[in-house]
Order: sequence, then structure tokens, then C-alpha cells
Amino acid sequence: MKATTEFDKKKYRNIWVIAELLSGKIQTVTYELIGVARNLADLRNSEVWVIVLSSKLEDNLELLFAYGADVVIILDNKEFFGFIDEMESKILKRLIVKYKPETVICGATSRGRALIPRVAVMTHSGLTADCTGLSIDPKSGDLLQTRPAFGGNIMAIIRSSNYRPQMATVRPRVMKMPEPNHARTGRIIKEGIFNSDIKNIKKIISVFHDTETAVNLADAQIIISGGRGMQGKKGFDLLKRFTEKVGGAALGASRAAVDAGWISYAHQVGQTGQTVQTKVYIACGISGQIQHLVGMQSCDLIIAIDQNPHTPMMQIADIAVIGDLFEIIPEIIYDITEL
Amino acid sequence: MIHHIRNKNFLVEVLPPKQDTENLESDLEKFCTRYMKVINSGYCVCITDNTMGNLSFQGTEIIEEFQLPVLPKLVMIHLNTFHRKDDLDNILNVCLRKGIKYILVITGDGSIRLPKLRPIDVNFTDINSVTSVELLKYISSEYPGAFILGVAFNPYEPEEHEFEKMEKKIKAGAAFIITQPLLGRNKVVNKLLKKYPQIPVIVEAWMSKKLHLLSEAVGYEITMNCEYDPIVNLKVLHNLYPECGVYLSLLGFKNQFDLIKETLV
Amino acid sequence: MKIVVCIKQVPATNDTKIDPETKRIVREGAKAILNPFDTYAVEEGIQLRDKYGGEVLALSMGPPKAEQALREVLALGVDKAILLSDRDFAGSDTWATSYVLARAIKKIGEVDLVLCGKQAIDGDTAQVGPGIAAHLSWGQATYVMAVEELSSSVIRVKRMHEDGYDICEIALPAVITVVKDINIPGVPTLKGRLASLKRKIPVWKPEDVKVEKTKIGLDGSPTRVVKIEQPASRHTSTKRIEGSARECARSLLRELRMRNII
Repeated sequence: MKATTEFDKKKYRNIWVIAELLSGKIQTVTYELIGVARNLADLRNSEVWVIVLSSKLEDNLELLFAYGADVVIILDNKEFFGFIDEMESKILKRLIVKYKPETVICGATSRGRALIPRVAVMTHSGLTADCTGLSIDPKSGDLLQTRPAFGGNIMAIIRSSNYRPQMATVRPRVMKMPEPNHARTGRIIKEGIFNSDIKNIKKIISVFHDTETAVNLADAQIIISGGRGMQGKKGFDLLKRFTEKVGGAALGASRAAVDAGWISYAHQVGQTGQTVQTKVYIACGISGQIQHLVGMQSCDLIIAIDQNPHTPMMQIADIAVIGDLFEIIPEIIYDITEL
Repeated sequence: MIHHIRNKNFLVEVLPPKQDTENLESDLEKFCTRYMKVINSGYCVCITDNTMGNLSFQGTEIIEEFQLPVLPKLVMIHLNTFHRKDDLDNILNVCLRKGIKYILVITGDGSIRLPKLRPIDVNFTDINSVTSVELLKYISSEYPGAFILGVAFNPYEPEEHEFEKMEKKIKAGAAFIITQPLLGRNKVVNKLLKKYPQIPVIVEAWMSKKLHLLSEAVGYEITMNCEYDPIVNLKVLHNLYPECGVYLSLLGFKNQFDLIKETLV
Repeated sequence: MKIVVCIKQVPATNDTKIDPETKRIVREGAKAILNPFDTYAVEEGIQLRDKYGGEVLALSMGPPKAEQALREVLALGVDKAILLSDRDFAGSDTWATSYVLARAIKKIGEVDLVLCGKQAIDGDTAQVGPGIAAHLSWGQATYVMAVEELSSSVIRVKRMHEDGYDICEIALPAVITVVKDINIPGVPTLKGRLASLKRKIPVWKPEDVKVEKTKIGLDGSPTRVVKIEQPASRHTSTKRIEGSARECARSLLRELRMRNII
């Protein structure tokens, strides 16, 4: 909704987090976002509200307060089984019009990215996706949204000065988990569904949960990548175990490894493969040919593990670990298990 | 291929126009002119397949569209693993129909627009990635005896791996070998010649003065102490490798074409 | 069956070299390309048309040179292409862009299905697809990895989620955004390219699609980019870790913990 004057903007208060649920359980990203929302709310002298749309909630809402929420709006109804974006967006719009939050943030997950853009159009709001930073402009009180663009080559700062609420999505694991304070409490508001919310546009036929979810290169926060130094398929099995130990990590490869048939082309990073811009890139036994470097230069932190300290990759890396991969990686896996 | 080596017929590389060219019609004309010039000189025209992952047109498409003549010993196409299965089969069928015999089978360079063959597309189930070896086996089994298949050898990659791959390629049906561009004598290529005396080997001569482009193409830094003269290098290769054929890449059609014959004297 | 595929021409963000001195990526006048994710939507549109009959139209909002991208999709086999181009459209964010595209789809009339790629490689927001659905008040499905069935009234799709997938049915007309898993896009043929050179691509202006001027362009965009920054500069020195495998592992994990990675 357009809000150009101070008077209009004052009508909107509080920072909302739309909870991400899976099989009735609240996902970690929700708590990460509550942490961010808490910081924003403190700067704005307002509250953090968490909106829970669930079917057979199996979680303890008190935990939301522990992580920083002041209010929880809960709608628990079997209609929320599966993911019906049209219905959820209609309900969120209704709640937004009723309670007028200043800011709404949501996890940039497959559901969040389907839902929030629809809501943003319905409420005529500005939405910034995949933010890596959220802060408050001290002069105006507007939300400043930072996100990478152009393949990570620039950082853009975005504002929705004249529209409320201000909306943003944030990917899981981008924000730090806050420290819970189990002494905190809050208020619970129970809302209901109207018959008109159920539009019969979409019908869920079946839902399938994967026990093993492979993280793909584009979405991963950490990429562990192998090159010729992995010496064969067994080397990549070791790297796969490494990625499984580190949550949210994807497996990458240099062209040499793919050409040798040790791993499929889907994992290839580089000029003739995929370009990635993750938080952390761990290059194992990759010499760093220019075609490979072009594909991962934008990563925030580059770690290289290699026997040879003089390769191009070891030179551009932020951290260069010199030693035998086949001894060091099992040690790392062991240590992480112990943590 | 032995015929080409004995008669010192050059293999001349010609690139098809890129798909995003702003001058499609004139680029096609240039291609056709070069194609005709090469075969009219009795040389073998070698048409590349999306080099460096740049989306280009296929040699087979241009030959069909403009009805370019195909003399079986004088036309070679590159074929890499970055095709959708239906496109791959289409290219092979056009080769069959038009009488194109020589195919250089390579893994190739991908890009975001080039689909990669899946193992199932070439009748494999228990491998991770399709390389030139699997593509060779596929062509040999689907079109037995129809084509003369060649493979690439890169003396700049670690030797052990490269020879391991070559052994697999030969077992899969490779009938000739083309090396990456050589700058004079190359120890690794000498080893290759000793190891496979029965297989025709063609050495590549980089005909552009810009050596840094070669470094980019091969992926490793290749330098020379003095200025690089491609014609001199070509003469040197004739002397050093008389038992090999010669493949010319980045040949300057205006300035160099008429000079290459003289390098044989 | 009338299918509209929305496409975008974007700068090739991969078209980069590394400056040997600064070791940073140098973007030298990146060329304009068809958004790679859109090729999957185009391929799906063509396959659905070939299977169920009807026609596929490509629609794009952009500067005049975006016409190149539309010609490319004509070369791929779509039946018609329309360009929305005007100075007043420029500077639109995703809200305004999806609004304009929705108005154009209304003008085309009797559209059954709209297909979009997952996201554009420059903006990366993935907002326009659901935005179009919301402006039209149509059903939507995002991250579609397969279209199982299409009839005159319903589409059944497989949607990808982080934790698996679901199968749902959506009443038509609807908007679908597709992921790479859905198909293998073809490449334009020479015949297709040569034929596309002769095709007419109409250019629609704001008045043609009856948009409210306050809802388009820079002024109609709820979001505004207020600053562009270079990301934090690359370090100047490399931290070396060596020693026994035990020591290396410990030191590395210490570093990762210090930087809040694990």
C-alpha cells in the first residue's frame, strides 16, 4: 500500500516474520529471521510478530518467544496441509491489512519464494529477495535491504520508501542463529480461516519427502569442490562424506575431474560449467586454471587444500592448507563429528 | 588419413558462424567461401563444434542448407558431448546421408546453453559423465563401419592421465589422433608416436601470431622467448614430424593460405 | 491451447575475465543474451503445444534490442513474439514489470497458460512469475519440474521443494515457473534463425496495454536501488596452515568457527 507521508507510515508498526514449517515443525530459518527482526524492532522501538500457518502444529510456540518474538499469530487448520500458495497469500494479505506491519520478512525457500512475491503484489509492497543484510536507515527509519546482483559482482542496497509494509526474503543460513532466552514470554493471537480464503484453485494430489536431499550448487552456502588431486571416484566419495558432515554444503568439481569421469557434469564449476558465488568455497586438489577461477572468484571465503603450496588456487585462496588431502579431510570429518 | 599424410594434404580448420552474430548472412557466405577454397585446393576442411562453449551453427546444417559439395576424404566434422540426443542422432544421420566420413570425437566445452549428453542417451548406465570415450563407443555401435573416428591428444595435460585416456580411446575405436597445437618439438608427442606407431597422428599448427589465445584455448600458460612466427613454426613441424599429418587452426585465409603450400618445399 | 512464455534479455554475467593484477573479475561490456532459465520455459511451451495443440507466444518487456532475444525464441520454434518497449517502462522493478506483463497477457486474450523461467540471472529475484499470477488473480505453481497432464481446464504439475516434491492440480488459466529439471532445451537451428530474420515483432507501448502510468517505470516501482557497492575487497595475503594432518584440521576448523561458518 502506498504510504508517502509520515502520517501514513506511522500506521504501520512492528516487524513480522512468516514462519517456515515442514510437517508441522518450525524450521531453523524462522529462528534466524527472528534474530534479525529482533534487532530491527529494537531500533524501531517496536515488536517482533511471528505468523504461523500450520496444519497439525507439533512444535512449541514458546520457543519463538525465547528467540525474540513478542507476539505469535497462529492459524492452525488442516487446510494448510501441503502448500497452497493462493490461499496462504490471501490470508497473509488479510492479516497485513488488518494489523499493518511495517516490515515483513520470510525465508527465501521454495515456499517463501513462491508465496511472498504474490503477497507483495496483492498488498502493493516493495519486496527484495535474497537479502544478505537488513538494517535501518537512521534518518528515515526505512528498511535498508542489501543483496548481491550481477552474479555477485556488486552489492545493491534497496529501499521501499513509499510503500508499506516493506518486504524481504532471506536465505537459510545467511543470518546467525540468535541465543535463546527461555525466560522470555509473549502473547498468542489465534486467527481463523474464512470460507472465502479457500478458493479451490489448487488441489494437492500427493506430497513426497526426500530422506536424502542433495544440495545444489546454486543454493549452497558452502561448496566443497574436488579436482585432479582427488585422484578418482573414491576421492569424491570422501568429499561427499565431507559435504554431508557440513550442513548445507554442495559438492563441486573441476573440469579435469568431470572429464575423467569421476563425477557428473552437473557438479562442474568453471567457465564451461557453473559459476557460483557462495559464502565458502573449499577447493580440494584443484590447481586453479583460469577457466575454473572465473567460475568461483566471487565466493566470499576461498579455502584451498593441496600438497603443493604454489598452485594458482593456493595463491588466490584466503586460507591455504598445505598437506595430504587424504589425511587432512578424514581428520576434519572426525573433528566435526566430535563437535 | 594415411592418404592425407603421404600426400601432405593439410587439414584446415574452419569455424561456423556463432549464433549471436549480427551479420549472419555475410558470415555464412564467408564460411562457404572458405569451405570451397579448402576442398578445391585438395585439402580437408575440418568444421568445429561449438568451440569454447560458444553457441554456433553446425557444419552439417550449413552443408545441407547451402548444398555444399561433400568429397568424402575432404570433409571432417568435430563432434562433442554437448548435444541433446535427438540433435546428436540428427548430425550423425546427415553425415551418413551426405557421405561425411571423418569425425573428430571430443568431450568438448560446455556452457550454460549447451545441453550435455546423459549416460542413458549413449546407452550407458553406470558412469557419471559422458566423455569422448563413451561417445566413440556409441557411434561405433550405432553406425558400425560408417565413419572414421578420430580423437584429440593434449600434450600439455599431465602425461599419465592423458596416456590413460588415449588407451581407452583407442580401445573404443579411435582410428586417428590429432594433437593440440605444437610449438616445435614436443617430448610427449614423441612418446605418443612411439607408443602407437600404427595409428595416423596429425599434429596441430597454431597459425595465429597471438600465442595468448593458444594459452586460453589449452588452459595453460604457453609462452615463447621470441616473437612467434606461425609459418616458421609450420616448417619446423614438417621437418620434425614428417610421418604426421598437419592440422591448421586459425589460418589466415587472406594472408597465409597461399603460403602454406610453400612450407612443404 | 494458448500458451504465453515470458522471456527476458539479460547481460551475460558469466562473460568475465580476471584482471591479472587485482585478481578480480572484470566485466567488459557484457553482451546481451536470452536469460538461460527462460530457455526451459520456451522448450516446455513448445513441447506442450506439440503434444496438446494450440500456439505459443513469446512476450518480453525491455529496451528495443530485446527484440534479438525474441527472434532467438522464434528460431527455437515459438509461433509469435511481442515486445513491450517504451521509455516509460524503463526502470521498472519486479512489481511494475509483472503488472505490465499481466496487462499484456490480458490484451492477448484467452490465454490458458503462462510459462516463466525460474529467475533472471541479473536480478535473480524469481518474483515476476508469481507477481504476474497475483496481478491476474490466477493460480500459480513455482519450481515446476514436470507437467504431468494438461487439459482445457486443469494442469497437473510436480513442484520441487528443498525436502522433496509435491503433485498438485491447478485450475486454468494459471502461471507456472519452471526449473532446469523439467526438460532439455533445444538450440536454434540454422533454418529457424534464417526464417526468424524475416518475422515481424510488434512493439507494444503503455497505451496499447492500458496500464496506469503511476504503476510503471521508475516512479511506479515500490523498490528503489539507492546504492551500489563493490563487495568487500579480496584479501591481500593468504593465511597458510601447515603441519600434521591433525594440526591442519584443527587450525582450519578454528578458522571456520571464528568466522561463524560452523
